[in-house]
Amino acid sequence: METQEIDRETALSGLLDQIPERVKTISEKRDSFLTDTVLLGEIPSPTYGEDERIRAVVDRFRENGLSSPTIDEFGNASAHLPGTEGQSSILVMAHADSVFSQEVRHEIQVGSDHMRGPGIADNALGLAAMIALPRLLDDLGIQLRDDLILVANSRSLGRANLEGASGFLETMSIPARAGICVEGSTLGRLSYSGLGTLRGEITLQVPSDYDWKRFGASGAISHVTGLINQIREIPIPKEPKTQLVFGGLRCGSSFNTSPKQGTLRFEITSEDNDIIGQMEDQLNEICEQFSAETGTLVSMEVVAKRQNCSIPFTHPLVKTTRSIMQEAGITPKVDPSTGDLNALILSGLPAVTLGLTTVENLREINETVQLDPLYAGMTQLVTLIQAIDQGICDS
Amino acid sequence: MNKINENWLERNTFHHADFWDLIKLVEEKEKKGLKISLCIPTLNEEKTIGKEVLILRSELMERYPLIDEFAVIDSGSMDKTLEVAKNYGADVYLASDILPEVGDKRGKGENLWKAIHQLKGDIICYVDADISNIHPRFVYGLVAPLIHRDEISYVKAFYDRPLNYSSGLRPSGGGRVTEILIRPLFSLFFPELSHIIQPLSGEYAARREVLEKIPFPIGYGVETSHLLDLYAMHGLETFAQTDLDRRVHRNQTTNALGKMSFGILQTFFNRLHAQGKLDRMPDLETFYRRFEVEEGKYHQVVQEVIEEERPPMIEVEGYRNRMASS
Repeated sequence: METQEIDRETALSGLLDQIPERVKTISEKRDSFLTDTVLLGEIPSPTYGEDERIRAVVDRFRENGLSSPTIDEFGNASAHLPGTEGQSSILVMAHADSVFSQEVRHEIQVGSDHMRGPGIADNALGLAAMIALPRLLDDLGIQLRDDLILVANSRSLGRANLEGASGFLETMSIPARAGICVEGSTLGRLSYSGLGTLRGEITLQVPSDYDWKRFGASGAISHVTGLINQIREIPIPKEPKTQLVFGGLRCGSSFNTSPKQGTLRFEITSEDNDIIGQMEDQLNEICEQFSAETGTLVSMEVVAKRQNCSIPFTHPLVKTTRSIMQEAGITPKVDPSTGDLNALILSGLPAVTLGLTTVENLREINETVQLDPLYAGMTQLVTLIQAIDQGICDS
Repeated sequence: MNKINENWLERNTFHHADFWDLIKLVEEKEKKGLKISLCIPTLNEEKTIGKEVLILRSELMERYPLIDEFAVIDSGSMDKTLEVAKNYGADVYLASDILPEVGDKRGKGENLWKAIHQLKGDIICYVDADISNIHPRFVYGLVAPLIHRDEISYVKAFYDRPLNYSSGLRPSGGGRVTEILIRPLFSLFFPELSHIIQPLSGEYAARREVLEKIPFPIGYGVETSHLLDLYAMHGLETFAQTDLDRRVHRNQTTNALGKMSFGILQTFFNRLHAQGKLDRMPDLETFYRRFEVEEGKYHQVVQEVIEEERPPMIEVEGYRNRMASS
């Protein structure tokens, strides 16, 4: 056991020594993955509308020499890079969907030290980095023993509730040793746990036979405001860490007409699944009571729900990731995920999510990624894949 | 003549998707021993130049070696155009440094002209710097007909203009100056040239052997003069055109278009004069030629527009009689 530990340390130290040289090589080979970032990022890819971007990913897989890339029934594109032994595999996943709709102008600007455009960090860059791996490994002279499974997963965000990643994992035929989710944002991100999450939408409607003469009668905006105030009265514990975020509100369309309908989007995240359950019950009660008291129709729909999951902080995958980050000059920031990582860990796979570079204006039209830190970000990804391949991250 | 023209449209009009197989295209280029240079003329284009150089160089020099030389020729930008272009690996030149003995004139045509001297390619492909949806098709779509067909020496781009009509039929062609100025002028004086769907597009590729033999207006007239001069030398068969789908670029003000039209008219009338068409005006054509596109197919529509005239009323007897009796 002890000898095995020493072997791992030696192997890891060998990998860490190569990091500075790798950052340099990757920065010299950047053009191809920066180009893919732009070309893929300029194809709109809203959740459930990823088809065109996914087809472009498949073309790229093929152009990069991967045989038989496929698109599965969930809309995920995947391809295999065969390893020298192929007894196991490493899964690298990047979500292909974006929060921006088809109507948003997907134009990316390229400056000397940055790139800017909607969805470039989340997740055109992550997608391009995943696609670039076969060529980068080749450029760096790395041959993996394990197969590398590359997945551009669809239907990840919002209402899709990780449908693409979960579907892929359910039908995956080759056993994987570990998984990595790649996100453009943000360098230093280290997620090894998935946060329990509930996403919901509350819809309030003023019925057509609403009594406008009753005491307190008003349009949907006032009612939704009242409802929000009541929801804010729900006690939110500090421990276990819990959060309630109002993420969207749609109500009304003019200056002078009282709207009849309003929709409120929210997300509850908590380290404790029971607290999420309790808060869901409380929200349902508030909706019911509010509806009865105001004569409006209030309904709540849960659009996504996931359980807490985690691998330990001391898991060799997490420990190795931290060592690699440190050597690459990246300060790790532990950040529980609400994304695809949950699907991976819940399927029993040890997995982490990594971010690639520093980002400004995340999820805004002028989302911006910095290029200088990106090369260290890419190096951590390649080095971690190699560490997994060498068995350094096995528990 | 119209039959030949229809046939030309069929034979010499391409779509970029015809040339998607870049491996095959590169093989054909190498077999023919052709060298291709790409030239982007610039003046204060820092917002779009980085993306153009990054994508075209990465895809068409590194991934598929179609382009042998990538040059940005600048007219003296005050912004970071040159820095950004250099950063992504373009060869960067100031137009004023090329052939200094002939002096320095300010204009896009100057950069295009000096590129012939500076660059080494047998084929030079010119792409404007302000394309915000740049894609490799903007280059391979233009050079491919020159690689495949020896008799073609000049290939122009045309683009889809996203106008949708409920009938599925839509007018297609150029911008305002093309439709209001160039197409009527060509219909009047050079009807065959009206087969060029977008005569003013800034993207084209040509063989050195034709580029070195024609003059270059340095301003707005350069595209028009190329068409008129090469048509006079070699006829319509020397041209081809490629549909490059959508092109997104800056919109120009009507004032700017007026200035542009004025420059183009100078070039046009200079040529008419040189060809003796101005002193001995031929009978003017009465057919106006434009394009429609239906289900991806381009058709030329020819309409007879006869501008009949009435004489001054004073010359009409009935009028004179009425006036005399009142």
